[in-house]
Amino acid sequence: MKTDAELIASALRGSQDAYRELVKRFERPVYSLILRMVRDPSSAEDLAQEVFVKAFRRLDSYDSQWKFSSWLFKIAHNATIDHLRRGTPETVPLEAEEDDRGSLAAVLADETVEDPLAATERRDLGRSLERAISLLRPEYRQAVLMFYAHGASYQEICEVTGLPLGTVKTNLHRARKELAEAMISLGWGPQGRQPAGETRRAPAS
Amino acid sequence: MNGMRPSHPNALDRWLAAERHDEADEADAALLELFEALPLIAPPAGFADRVLLRSGIRFAPKRDLFASWGARLAVSLSLVALGLGTLWLPPVLRFLAGLMSVSGLVQSGVRALVGATQLLATALRAWDLMFTIGRALTQPLAMPQVMAGLVACLLISSLAFRLLRDQINGERNWTYVDPV
Repeated sequence: MKTDAELIASALRGSQDAYRELVKRFERPVYSLILRMVRDPSSAEDLAQEVFVKAFRRLDSYDSQWKFSSWLFKIAHNATIDHLRRGTPETVPLEAEEDDRGSLAAVLADETVEDPLAATERRDLGRSLERAISLLRPEYRQAVLMFYAHGASYQEICEVTGLPLGTVKTNLHRARKELAEAMISLGWGPQGRQPAGETRRAPAS
Repeated sequence: MNGMRPSHPNALDRWLAAERHDEADEADAALLELFEALPLIAPPAGFADRVLLRSGIRFAPKRDLFASWGARLAVSLSLVALGLGTLWLPPVLRFLAGLMSVSGLVQSGVRALVGATQLLATALRAWDLMFTIGRALTQPLAMPQVMAGLVACLLISSLAFRLLRDQINGERNWTYVDPV
C-alpha cells in the first residue's frame, strides 16, 4: 500500500488513480467530521467535495511537515466555518434521519451481536450521544470530535484550529463537562437510567 | 469494530461518575471508550468520482504505446522501412563519397567558421547594449536617498501585507459563527 507522500507525488505527476486513492483514503474522516459539524447531509457532501477540490488544486503547496489528514482537516475547518458563517440553517438533525445506517446509534445497537434489549439501550445511548454532541457550540463540538472520535492530538487540533494549546485544552475540558450535563439532561444520569426503548426527548435547544 | 465491543453503558457510568468527582483522566479514558464505536460515516456512493469531476484537474493520459492499432501499424512499417533502408545504404554512401573533394570540404569549413564568428559578434553587441541599459537603470540605486526610499517602500508593503493577512485570518473564527 502506497504512503500518503507517494500518492501525493503520483498525483502531482497527474495520476488520476492517485487522486482517486487519496479521496478514498480520507473521504470518511473528512465527511464524518463535516457532517457532525453542519448536521445536514447535503451540505456536508458539498463541503467535503469542496475540501478535496481545494486540496487538490493547492496540492503543490502542501507542506509535507504536516500530516496530510491534518492539512485536510484544516481546509475542512475553514470551509465549515465559512459555511456556518453564511448562516445556512441546520435542517436535518443527524439523529432524526430515518436511515441511520453507519450512525453511532446503529453501530452501538448491532442486534446481531447481543440481545435485543441491550441493543435497544445501546441505540438509545448512541442517539443521545449524537444529540448531546450536536448541542455543543461549534468550537467545542469540533474539539470533541477531533480528539475523541478522530484520535487527533492536542497539537494537531492546535494546528487545525489555529488556537493556542491552552485554549484547546480548556475547550476540551468544558466540552466534556457540557457533554456530560447534556447526557444527564437526556436521561442518562446515575438516577435516571431509563428503560430500554424509551428514548427521552432532548430539552429544547 | 464488531469484535471488540466495549460495554458502552458501563463506560458511560464511569465517565459520568468521573465527571462528578472531577477525575479528568478517568473521564477522558471512559469517554474515549464510549467514542470507540463512533463510526466514520461514508459519503454517498460515487463521491470520489464527483470530486474528480468537480476538481477540473487535467489528468495525464495513461501511457500505453502499443494500445492502438495505428501505433502498432506505424511501428511495424517503420521497422520494414528500416530494413529496406539498410539495403540501400552502401550504394548511397559510395555515391556521396564520389561527389566530395578536399577543396570542397575546406571551403565548407571556412564558410562555417566565418558564419559562427559573425554570430558571436552580433551576440556580443547585444550583450554590450543590455549591459549599458542595466548600468543606467541601477545607477540611481547607488545614491543613499534612493536606496533608503526603496527599502522604506518594501518595508511598508510587507507590513501592509502582514496586517491584511492577520485581518483575514482573525475574522475566520468561531466567534463569528454561532453566538451560542
